[in-house]
Amino acid sequence: MEKSRTSSSVLVEPVYSSVVALLIIVMACVELCDAVTVVDVYRLVQYDIGGVPFGSRLAALNHHAGSSFLSSSPAADLSRTVLILPVRELNLTFITEYIGQKKPLGGLLLLLPPIFSPQNIETEDGAAEYSAKDLLKEVLNELERLLVHANIPYPVYFGFEDEHVSTVLADIKKNDATGQPATATTGGYKLVVAAPEPRKIASPTIINIQGWLPGLRADGDSSQLPTIAVVASYDTFGAAPALSVGSDSNGSGVVALLEIARLFSMLYSNPKTRGRYNLLFALTSGGPYNYNGTHKWLRSLDQRVRETIDYAICLNTVASSGDDLWIHVSKPPENAYIKQIFEGFSTVSEELGIKVGLKHKKINISNSRVAWEHEQFSRLRVTAATLSKLSVAPDLLESTGGLSDNRHFTDEASISRSVKLVSESLARHIYGQEGKNIDIFADGSSLSVNPSYIRTWLRFLSTTPRVAPFLSKNDPLIMALKKELADHTVEVNVQQEVLDGMFTFYDSTSGKLHIYQVASVTFDLLLLLVLGSYLITLFSFLVITTRGLDDLISIFRRPTSRKAKTA
Amino acid sequence: MTIFHFFNCAILTFGPHAVYYSATPLSEYDTIGTSIKSALVYLITALVKLVCLATFLKVSESDSFDPYQELLKALIGFIDVAGIYFALTQLTHRNISQNHKFQAVGLGWAFADSVLHRLAPLWVGARGLEFTTEYILQGLEANANLVLSISLAALCSLMWLRKNKPKTLIPIIYTCAGIVATMPSVTSYMRRGLGWHFPEIVGFELFTSLIMAFISWQLFSACQRPSN
Repeated sequence: MEKSRTSSSVLVEPVYSSVVALLIIVMACVELCDAVTVVDVYRLVQYDIGGVPFGSRLAALNHHAGSSFLSSSPAADLSRTVLILPVRELNLTFITEYIGQKKPLGGLLLLLPPIFSPQNIETEDGAAEYSAKDLLKEVLNELERLLVHANIPYPVYFGFEDEHVSTVLADIKKNDATGQPATATTGGYKLVVAAPEPRKIASPTIINIQGWLPGLRADGDSSQLPTIAVVASYDTFGAAPALSVGSDSNGSGVVALLEIARLFSMLYSNPKTRGRYNLLFALTSGGPYNYNGTHKWLRSLDQRVRETIDYAICLNTVASSGDDLWIHVSKPPENAYIKQIFEGFSTVSEELGIKVGLKHKKINISNSRVAWEHEQFSRLRVTAATLSKLSVAPDLLESTGGLSDNRHFTDEASISRSVKLVSESLARHIYGQEGKNIDIFADGSSLSVNPSYIRTWLRFLSTTPRVAPFLSKNDPLIMALKKELADHTVEVNVQQEVLDGMFTFYDSTSGKLHIYQVASVTFDLLLLLVLGSYLITLFSFLVITTRGLDDLISIFRRPTSRKAKTA
Repeated sequence: MTIFHFFNCAILTFGPHAVYYSATPLSEYDTIGTSIKSALVYLITALVKLVCLATFLKVSESDSFDPYQELLKALIGFIDVAGIYFALTQLTHRNISQNHKFQAVGLGWAFADSVLHRLAPLWVGARGLEFTTEYILQGLEANANLVLSISLAALCSLMWLRKNKPKTLIPIIYTCAGIVATMPSVTSYMRRGLGWHFPEIVGFELFTSLIMAFISWQLFSACQRPSN
């Protein structure tokens, strides 16, 4: 008997222990994703200018969801609620007031229409929605301006309206209509973004890429050839850095520069058609921050090279689509050089049917604000002009490729026109054909502007956010631009600099939002009550059926009888 | 809220077992050893069933009801009965009456079943933020399973331990035992073939378990009369 018992227990033990071990392993696999929805969200930018904080200062989110500022009484405490607001139905006055008066809020989730999503770059909207798109663009610009220049102590995220989020929002609106905001005791939805505390980016780098296309030196000619520079800044800044693709500001400028480089590289590849000017193409960074990159690039240039620069053309937001183009200069229009440049451009623009105007803005040396890229050249006494569709100089951090600047609002045909304008004007100057009736980059010739090249590059840039502090030296974008310039020019240099200390940036630009449907604590309390009564009933039932009613009564009477005994 | 919910579902799933043990005379006669032994037998039976399923069953991509596969699963389900047979007859028990033996065996069997099948999903799932009624339904299913296990143990003890049974009742006993043993196949047929949802299946299980418990109670008391 004893032996059989020990042998059976020996057999049972390893099985038992392995099952227990398996159970422990399973217990250790804790947090499974069981949320209703998981959505990609993008955080509002967080930055300091000279130590003054701007933008959203928090990243982690873990609060209940609400749907409007007015859902509860005005005095209700929203400091533990995250408001989900679709931008289409946004009331700007309310949100301006809320942020302006620094009222407490748990968090803000702004939902953008799906057209702004980087995934939906191919979908075409009907022309009938054009006016609605314009209105939306206005609202977005206003919203962006408000958010970027405010100091917001709670997390602000941007997301896109998709079916899951829309159903959740509809549900929340229904619940809010009953008048009770969601809290821990009333159930509802909980929004969670698990993000670490945002840290300062230690040394934000700006990377300039330059390409050099040398001109034809005649034999025996020892003097330096003059140079013409074509410059465009490629980085962006917007309310949501992970969404700042800046199709027009300044994706259009970058695409135009690449196409101009391609055309001239074709001309310069053959010594018979190589002009007597060097061409310098520069893709600069740090555009939104007073053209810091251009400033550093110019100072790093060899002084002799800089002195040979005849003039520089800066491209900024050139997808005009019906608007006029403007040439902005800082030297007075009576200056001979400026007159010559402008006449060259006007002649070509008349032939193309575009209207080009001249705008003069004086530089104020004591003011550190640099509104146009050509001003950095002018401060070093290099003649320069900016070609842009914007007629007025933008303020700091404006028109830098924000939320509303995406592929759907950018017209690629106008970029082709701008490319033709610039390259034709430059070519006529280089080859001395000014005023003559000649079409160097004629349509249909081998030197025509290639619309599919422009389309491809515009598409690439419209899906790549390009905020400079978040781009490293080995970023695929930088590598791609470098390679493309290397294809078209003879010598490419990449210069890496640190962004000036006035601007400080913080990381954590995107995250995943989990939306959970939670039951209230009262539900669980009720459940506990029901279970307790169920178990007590079960207990009584079993005692009565198996031992008899007297036993049940005696269980409750035993303490009293013992007391009677001791007494 | 979530640990609270886990606690609620846990007492729904495992509470009745503890209550059954303490409320009935099982606690007075200290039959915990028998229960533990039958729990271990259940573990072994479950392992054997898994091995058989892995060997004989084909993995089907669709979730439809395949009669041949279900028949095979039902046959493998009879290993359960063999396990109970082993627990009732082959293991040595302390000197407890037959009445209490089947209850202790059934209790241990049901407890092992609940722990093995329901503890892990409960621990992993019920602690999340997201609210579902799934774990409450699972607890109700555990209750139904307890009743079914005890009735199965009762019928099995009638079949093998009681020697003098009224002749007329023997086929009824065997058919009832067969019905209870094939309950898992029936529920899986309902889930896949008829497309019932979890709450409806749990309701059905509770209903049938109560009916089977009543029938087996009647049979047991009917068989007890001649010996008295």
